[in-house]
Amino acid sequence: MTPQVPDQAEPAPARNTAVRWAWMVSLLAVATASGALAFLLSIGATTPQGFFERHQAWLYWVNLGVGVLLGLVVLVAAVRLMVRVRRGRFGAQLLGRLALVLAAVSLLPGLLIYTVSYAFVNRSIESWFDERLASALEAGLNLGRVTLDSRVQELAAQARIGAQRVADEGSSSALTLERLREQWLAERVALLGPNGQVLAEVSDLGDTTVRPSLEQAQRVDLALLRRAARDGSTGRIEGLEDDGDPQRVARIVAVAVLPSTGLKLTGDERYLLVLQPLPSSLTANALAVQTASLEYQRRVYERDGLRRMYLGTLTLVLVLAVFVALLLAIQLGNALAKPLVLLADGMRQVAGGDLTRKPVMASRDELGGLTRAFADMTDQLGQAREQAQASMAALEQARARLQTLLDNLTAGVIVFDREQRVASVNASATRILRQPLAGLVGAPLDHLPALVGLHELIWPRFATLSEGAGPGMEHWQLAQDLPLPNHPAPLTLLLRGAELPDGQWLLVFDDISELVSAQRTEAWGEVARRLAHEIKNPLTPIQLSAERLEHRLAAKLAEDSDRAMLTRCVGTIVNQVQAMKQLVNEFRDYARLPAARLAPLDLNALVQEVMTLYPDAIEQGRLLPQLESGLSWIQGDASQLRQVIHNLVQNGLDAVSDRPDGRVVVDTKQSRNDDGSVRAVRLTLTDNGPGFADQVLSRAFEPYITTKTKGTGLGLAVVKKIADEHAASIRLSNLPPAPEQPASTTVSGGARVSLTFSQLAPTGAVLL
Amino acid sequence: MGAAWAQAVLDGPVQVQRDDRTLELAYNFKLELSRALSDALQRGVPLHFVVEARVRRVRWYWRDATLAEGQRSWRLSYQPLTRQYRVAATGGLSQSFDSLDDALGLIRRAGRWPLDLREEPALDAQYEMDFSLRLDVSQLPGPVQIGLGSRAALEGTQTRRLHPMELGLAS
Repeated sequence: MTPQVPDQAEPAPARNTAVRWAWMVSLLAVATASGALAFLLSIGATTPQGFFERHQAWLYWVNLGVGVLLGLVVLVAAVRLMVRVRRGRFGAQLLGRLALVLAAVSLLPGLLIYTVSYAFVNRSIESWFDERLASALEAGLNLGRVTLDSRVQELAAQARIGAQRVADEGSSSALTLERLREQWLAERVALLGPNGQVLAEVSDLGDTTVRPSLEQAQRVDLALLRRAARDGSTGRIEGLEDDGDPQRVARIVAVAVLPSTGLKLTGDERYLLVLQPLPSSLTANALAVQTASLEYQRRVYERDGLRRMYLGTLTLVLVLAVFVALLLAIQLGNALAKPLVLLADGMRQVAGGDLTRKPVMASRDELGGLTRAFADMTDQLGQAREQAQASMAALEQARARLQTLLDNLTAGVIVFDREQRVASVNASATRILRQPLAGLVGAPLDHLPALVGLHELIWPRFATLSEGAGPGMEHWQLAQDLPLPNHPAPLTLLLRGAELPDGQWLLVFDDISELVSAQRTEAWGEVARRLAHEIKNPLTPIQLSAERLEHRLAAKLAEDSDRAMLTRCVGTIVNQVQAMKQLVNEFRDYARLPAARLAPLDLNALVQEVMTLYPDAIEQGRLLPQLESGLSWIQGDASQLRQVIHNLVQNGLDAVSDRPDGRVVVDTKQSRNDDGSVRAVRLTLTDNGPGFADQVLSRAFEPYITTKTKGTGLGLAVVKKIADEHAASIRLSNLPPAPEQPASTTVSGGARVSLTFSQLAPTGAVLL
Repeated sequence: MGAAWAQAVLDGPVQVQRDDRTLELAYNFKLELSRALSDALQRGVPLHFVVEARVRRVRWYWRDATLAEGQRSWRLSYQPLTRQYRVAATGGLSQSFDSLDDALGLIRRAGRWPLDLREEPALDAQYEMDFSLRLDVSQLPGPVQIGLGSRAALEGTQTRRLHPMELGLAS
């Protein structure tokens, strides 16, 4: 009924329309034919001798056929409807109910009228037939019959007397016959031979001559003669036909056999024939009674047929009307239910999420308007949903973008909800804090013991924000060292907090430890440069002045003890000034470290060159070079790297100086990529000294950080600076305690410094 | 009403005899009226009987050609006043009978019923005859017809092939 499949939407309605039209037209035709037939039937039934009477039978059958056809159609429609209802086809129940209601509406009045008409027809047909009328007619007929019979018998009796007389007189004289005729007022008296031939005859026409024969039409029936011969005399009435000829005169025919005289010869009888006319009034009355009686009898006989005809007609008309009404009911129900079914189907589809355009009814009534409005509504819904989906997609995109941004931020970002629980965390936060923050989502920050400090740090500040400290206080910022358990040194974090519009809290933080370290390095460089400048200048005059004092005053002092003291004091001054100069020079060197001039360099050769400076240590086995042969050349500044190696070897030897088994290992190694090419060259120095202190480890490269009682603390700082110049990475670490040593004596198994050079010399340059 | 309106059975085949330009038919029916029909007759319903005969030349390529045909009909009625049955033939000749059997006797048999030949019968042709006696239902009153339904009383039908001798062709 409705186009279920969208891509068939175009041809299906056209076909549907054609089918619907065909249905309507055929229905109308059938209804018209039924009406005409019913009309014909009713006319045929009410005009007894009309044209339709002759066609009654086939009309009846045609009606019956149409009725059966209609019944079949109705049956098929009903069965189809039932099957649809049974299958739960959508809208079938509504259609069925409508059809039932309409059918009931059309059926009930029809049945009522039928019942009343049935009783009425039955009653009126019965009322035509009256017992008294029937008996009266019968009595009248009997009366006429008896009258006629008595007349016949009377004439027959007279004929017998006449025959006796004729026989007595012996001769067949016409006179006797004439006398008899006049006596009986007969029309004609004749003497007949044994075979009915006329022997003598007289009639009231005045002709008394004996005619040899009668006319053919007036020949006497032989059966009558035979009966007369048997009974003596007999008679009957002739000419009493109901063929309506007014000229015909009914008469009594009486025949008597003449008694035979003498010897009796069979077959030689003679008969006396008497024709006496009946009075016309009597015959007319008798015929009228007979006609009426026959008519009545026929009607009685036809009564059943009549009743069957009337009632059959009535029933047929009812059946036709009911079937047509049923068909119309189904059709009307269809038409009425269709928009509703369309609507409900559309609703179901919309409920199922299908917001495509819905079919509409072309009709201009309210239901059609309803379907149109529904289709418009569906359209609008669909558009709204599309817009919503588009904005959802945009939102999702924006969110993904934001997430990507957050994930790629180097700054850590944590968002807290109103209940101080972690709402979201980015990857950098996990990296910076080195805590499994992703698993913390939905829990407060102090759920992790390591972050309790951070928790207590930030919430008082968020609280100041939420108290509404005034405009300009949308956020707070703080740089704070934060000790973390699995961190060698406290992290220096730059924290920034803000309140998000929806009441959530945003915490953004950066690890600025390296920045701070760099700032410190920078600051130290500046300090060193100024100090060197400010301090170095007065040192030379101090030394010169002290030497001049000794030179001048030594000769003038008489006492040896005084002279010795002067010499000692001046010596002390000069020595200290020298030491101070050296210190200042080192500071100056650190601050004014020249830029590295990179050139292809064989690291192994450089290491061996430096090793020659420590012949004693090598001989004692305290310094142990382990160099990989065939090392790739690197890009480096030989003089600076020489200083680096020197510093690191010296540091190592210093660290193990108070240990008898102290040992420093210098090794070089190269790491390769997957394809075999050299990726980097690494220089590692390992000692088995006490290792770095924890607080040193993170800041070892800052100037003036040292574990040694002696030294400026600039060694590692210079190393770091040169490594930076070479784009080499430097790592400090403590070795795990050696198993053969008791764990209680030392915290670690020694220190390790490794330098990784990733700037390699081009192969062509190496060959030079 | 009874199952059948009238019982009419041909008593033997219809006799056909050539007589110059005519065919003469002789037949004999066993004809009995059912109780319903005689009752209707007693109540004044006239009955019309029709005897039809048709001799045709069989043509395989077309409708059969008629060699000779004829129809006789009678009107049988009852007169309660005189208790007589009247049989009126088509020609107008009418006779009265005291008993129904006598009246039916007129219809039952015929000795020489002439049918005019339309063409000279040929020896190489094939001839068939249709013969029937029936009650003309259409002459009955309407209500009786309706009750009759499809049981139109067409009885005593015979169709048979005619021997050339009967057509006077072979000696």
